[in-house]
Amino acid sequence: MANFFPRWSNLLPLQIAVCLGTAVGGIALAFAYYATPKAQVVGYQPAQPIPFSHKIHVDQLGLDCRYCHSFAEVSGHSNVPSGNTCWNCHQHVQRDSPKLAPLHKSMDVNYPGYDGKPIEWVRVHKAPDYVYFNHSAHLARGISCQSCHGDVNKMEVVYQAESHSMGWCLDCHNAPEKHLRPLEEVYNFKYDAEKYLAANPTYQDGKRLKTQEEFGLLIKDMFHVHPKTSCSTCHH
Amino acid sequence: MSKRILHHPEVPAGETTVAWRSQGQLEDTAEFRSWLDREFPRGAAEMANEEEMETSRRSFLKLMGASTALAGFGMAACRRPESYIVPYTKAPEWVIPGNATYYASSMPRAGGATPLVVTSFEGRPTKLTVNNLHPDAEGTDAFAQASILDLYSPSRSRTILKGAKSAKRGDLDAAIAAVAADPAAKVGFLFGADDSPTRARLVTQLASKFSAAKFYQYEALTGEAAAALGDGVKLVADFALADRILSLDSDFAGSDSAGPITPFFDRRKPEGKAYDAKPDASKMNRLYAIEAGFSLTGGMADHRLRIPTSQIVGIAAQIARMITGDVALTAAGEVVTDPKHLSWIQGVVDDLKAHAGRSVVLAGSRQPAAIHHLALAINLALGNIGEGKPLVALQTETTGLGSLATLKTDIDAGTIDTLFLLGPANPVYDAPADLKFGESLAKLKASFHLGTRTDATAHAATWHIPAAHYLESWSDTRSARGIYTVVQPMILPLYPNCVSELELLLALLSEDGKLLNGEGEKGEASPAYTAVRATFTALGGEGDTAWKTLLRDGFLKDTAYPTATVSVAASAWSDVGAAKREAPTANTLEVIFATDASVYDGRWIDNGWLQEAPDPISKLTWDNAALIAPKTAKELGIYDQIIALQPVENVLGVEMETGPRSPDGEADGRKSPMILVKVNGQELEIPVLISFGQAENTIVIPLGYGQGFNAEDELGRGEFNASHVSLVGVNSGFNAYPLRTSQSPYFASGATATPTGKRYSVALTQEHNAMYGRALAREVSTAHDDEKGSFAEQIGNVKKQGNDSHAPPNVSLYKQENREGKSLLSDPLHQWAMSIDLSSCTGCNSCLVACQAENNIPIVGKKQVAMGREMHWIRMDRYFATQKDNDFDSDNPVLVPQPVSCVQCESAPCETVCPVNATVHTEDGLNAMAYNRCIGTRYCANNCPYKARRFNFFDYNKRNPLIEHNLYKGPFGEKQVGDAPHLQRNPNVTVRMRGVMEKCTYCVQRLKGAVIRQKRGQKQEALVAGKPSTEFRVTESTLRIPVDSVKVACQDACSAGAISFGNLLDGEKSTMYRTKQLERNYDLLNYIGTRPRTSYLARVKNPNPAMPDAKFIGKATIHMV
Repeated sequence: MANFFPRWSNLLPLQIAVCLGTAVGGIALAFAYYATPKAQVVGYQPAQPIPFSHKIHVDQLGLDCRYCHSFAEVSGHSNVPSGNTCWNCHQHVQRDSPKLAPLHKSMDVNYPGYDGKPIEWVRVHKAPDYVYFNHSAHLARGISCQSCHGDVNKMEVVYQAESHSMGWCLDCHNAPEKHLRPLEEVYNFKYDAEKYLAANPTYQDGKRLKTQEEFGLLIKDMFHVHPKTSCSTCHH
Repeated sequence: MSKRILHHPEVPAGETTVAWRSQGQLEDTAEFRSWLDREFPRGAAEMANEEEMETSRRSFLKLMGASTALAGFGMAACRRPESYIVPYTKAPEWVIPGNATYYASSMPRAGGATPLVVTSFEGRPTKLTVNNLHPDAEGTDAFAQASILDLYSPSRSRTILKGAKSAKRGDLDAAIAAVAADPAAKVGFLFGADDSPTRARLVTQLASKFSAAKFYQYEALTGEAAAALGDGVKLVADFALADRILSLDSDFAGSDSAGPITPFFDRRKPEGKAYDAKPDASKMNRLYAIEAGFSLTGGMADHRLRIPTSQIVGIAAQIARMITGDVALTAAGEVVTDPKHLSWIQGVVDDLKAHAGRSVVLAGSRQPAAIHHLALAINLALGNIGEGKPLVALQTETTGLGSLATLKTDIDAGTIDTLFLLGPANPVYDAPADLKFGESLAKLKASFHLGTRTDATAHAATWHIPAAHYLESWSDTRSARGIYTVVQPMILPLYPNCVSELELLLALLSEDGKLLNGEGEKGEASPAYTAVRATFTALGGEGDTAWKTLLRDGFLKDTAYPTATVSVAASAWSDVGAAKREAPTANTLEVIFATDASVYDGRWIDNGWLQEAPDPISKLTWDNAALIAPKTAKELGIYDQIIALQPVENVLGVEMETGPRSPDGEADGRKSPMILVKVNGQELEIPVLISFGQAENTIVIPLGYGQGFNAEDELGRGEFNASHVSLVGVNSGFNAYPLRTSQSPYFASGATATPTGKRYSVALTQEHNAMYGRALAREVSTAHDDEKGSFAEQIGNVKKQGNDSHAPPNVSLYKQENREGKSLLSDPLHQWAMSIDLSSCTGCNSCLVACQAENNIPIVGKKQVAMGREMHWIRMDRYFATQKDNDFDSDNPVLVPQPVSCVQCESAPCETVCPVNATVHTEDGLNAMAYNRCIGTRYCANNCPYKARRFNFFDYNKRNPLIEHNLYKGPFGEKQVGDAPHLQRNPNVTVRMRGVMEKCTYCVQRLKGAVIRQKRGQKQEALVAGKPSTEFRVTESTLRIPVDSVKVACQDACSAGAISFGNLLDGEKSTMYRTKQLERNYDLLNYIGTRPRTSYLARVKNPNPAMPDAKFIGKATIHMV
């Protein structure tokens, strides 16, 4: 009886196994690297209808976050400013900039293309529908905007700086001391714990505090900050 | 999947209570046992519709494999979808995106408005709660809670109809302008029975503008109280002052409003409203009820006498005779001869006499004049009416209005040729049949119907105008005692053609007759606003301050109806004599046309929440049925048919069904036999249900169903009025209105009933999620009992009932503390818990519907309910119980309602079995459900001894469950129709999808909201202290929410104050904590060791020891198998 299978085919199962293994492993690694929230959403930087620059408004002009995001302290949602907030200034300042055409369209009754419809900003940070993140709860307890949104004051165009994945949330809920600040410094994007401690000598048990973590632990203790990690903290 | 078997102890020897949920259980059928044993009934958890009967595990895996492979192709093209944030252009004042705003408003109704606080998110109302500032605040009932769904109903009328065909707005405007321009117009107005000061003012203006105008009032379900009390006079009870209450068929705790009801329930609690006194029986009230079939009030009664409705007049006359001693009455009423009834009556009479001036006799609002005469005579004789007395006679503003019968005469005589139908009733459908109102309506030159539904009257009228919902219109109204209450719009009408009643009247009064509705042309307010403000100015004074106070509080202080004087009418005793009827017998049955707990008179038929809420007594959903007493059913020979269930046999330890399984999990046993009822020359074929505690030889048929049918109808009744109802109301129930005559609209004598051999499927929930257990519900009596001892001893023994005293202490194997002795996993600030007082719970469904509104719970449709898949987080258990030795009336069981939702066990059996940790405990004592983690194994539900978990078998929220077979089509099924229902959803609660388990969360969104609000105060306190935040000491009081400051949705809705909720760490200051310290507090299934956070307070009955049935009262201990 003739040999159906040539000799080289003896190695075939092994070859197939190796190839398949490599392929599966590769897919798994690629998935882990490219498909996790960290890989997918960090750096997401969509174009906005008006190329609003936080760098100009915050860094150069020194606007407080709450001038525009006025309800972040009192509501779960941090609102995007309504048209009239922009128009307060821009009916006087940079009025003729072509970049502001959508604002004119929505607010300026004398503008030829006026339709009174709101500006549609593209959402950058999106929590899934089953996640209830509350801005006011964090701001009121000494977590800065910066901790989650990055150095927005330096962004020409806003992008997502952190992964906002569940693991990332839990990192901070387990160790909030890395981020806690005095309530007065929550909106200060130039805050640096070490500089703050140098300027405001702070002691615990007679020992002068020097680092963010030492200071964070003190604040955690003083504010009774015990972030919860049970499911219903965020999912309900 | 069969249920995990928990080992329940033996029922203690000497237990005298016989308790049951359903006829099936009473007869111990295999079907009921299977409901008890299984998590879901046979077939409910399997794919069992026609198409999928063939699906095997193998083909399922094939399909899953294919879909997984295909998913890869789909995923490859998956990109982050771009979504947008769209802020306001001009931010409206007070609106904070993400935060709710609360406005005071009210729901106008016939018995007096329900004052409300409306929760609104970004301008869209989502939830109604009671306005507790209002002096007439009395919680909210299921109708008030469900009324918000009507605002967003996809079937809501939105187009103008002329001759039942869509018409143009311009034509309607012209028609109205033509009426307005003719001061001699022979115009009539038909109103509902709600009271509106602005409308009353406009009526006088209309009367002077249109010299021939006539005004009428009509509600389908009213009695003849006015004949006894006078035009527009009503008796309102102050239950805080009523020590003894006799209800002559008055369902004052349910559908017959007789005054704010909360004080009644406060006096059902022996420790007082705040649970802070020693239990004192003398502070409790005592309720006697005389009725035919169980009502919610009858279920609460300490002593209940069941009597055919026609015979109540005889009993009432006997009581009146014994109390008033009126000789004339002796001649009029028949004399009671039954010795049992006589001894019962004697007990009541003695008790009422002993409490003269502190008692109340209430006549059912639907009763004929005779009962109202008698009740009035008794109350006057006892001195119960007047200042500082429990009853007060008030003169309302709805006077001088003709009845529907006069309206018909006026139309036929030509006194009227144009009619405006403005009330909520639907006279073409619900008027007494012999009136033939539809024929008269057709004689009119023009008729204008204003309504939110395109019902029969909308189709019969010349014009139908879509009505604005009360949450969309400016108006005013009066509460039970006449307190001026505002109706504020929360939102502009969702559809541009929706008109409110006042806007329509104002158009007729305006010079050019122009109909202005919603927002005016230049964005100014509706003309109704100006009119309401003008009415208010006359009452509350000029100026913005008073007006703004009204808008903030919702009512105007110190406004009430003036008191009226009442006396027994001259015609009283002849009315009583005329009301005498022969007692019904097996051959001449009595039909009672009952008010339905789900659809009222039929106006709520298109409301899915109400349709799916099980009837509090019969536990029937989506239909009505003829209710008959077990004995009557046996006489008719259908008792056995009702429980003839699919035979189940035990073969070698496995339960096997003999015979083929029917599709959709619909066994024959879930089909009721039908009877043909003949009365008043009309006949109706209707399914029968057994109703325990009902008088023999009576048939109770709830009204309001059978308004329209389409081709899908189970009985093939043919297309009939299908356009009158929506998908919710179509093919629902049987219309009993044609049997009703104007002579006797409440009941009819001389009926016959014959079984027809047909069957009709009924979605009954009474056996669903039935629990095993000992002493589930417990009762004690204030009266001394030879075996059980005094009241104090009985209360002391509550905790020992059901073998609880023998249960060994529960020792947890888990570590409770860390090395430093600090408690693990616990929140030192908040530990939530709840208690439910069975003493004041009537089982009215208000909490169930409120929960549905708060927590985005979907409806599932009749077929799914029949399979036990209803999603209600609160299961309103209703037990019947009787004493073995009851020789007074063994067929008159007591009714024990018990709401059960997740009890948030500290040692929760569900948590240990979840393979993916989707249900875990939180630091503050909740048993949390992470929907996004749940993979739908249902192990948790299987392990839950309380059967409190609900599983989404389908995407009920997304796919419309009411379209036939729609759910089974998966992604190809039709989505929920219409554009509005999603607007009602609470944004703080996840909308669950298919394959996810859910259950009561203690309204965790409200708890989180309250805690976060409290934490925000830290910064405020630091600012006030003038210190930098790092120097300010945060204490417990900074972070712990104030005592009793957060309310869960069911607690908020409850008129009876039966639910207490709070933080265990608040200690004695918390009402909930105090209830937990009471002796009558007990845990459900304590002996299993689950340590539930929700506990129950045993029901306290306050029987009169002198009554012949006293020794059988207050002894019901509910053991389930």
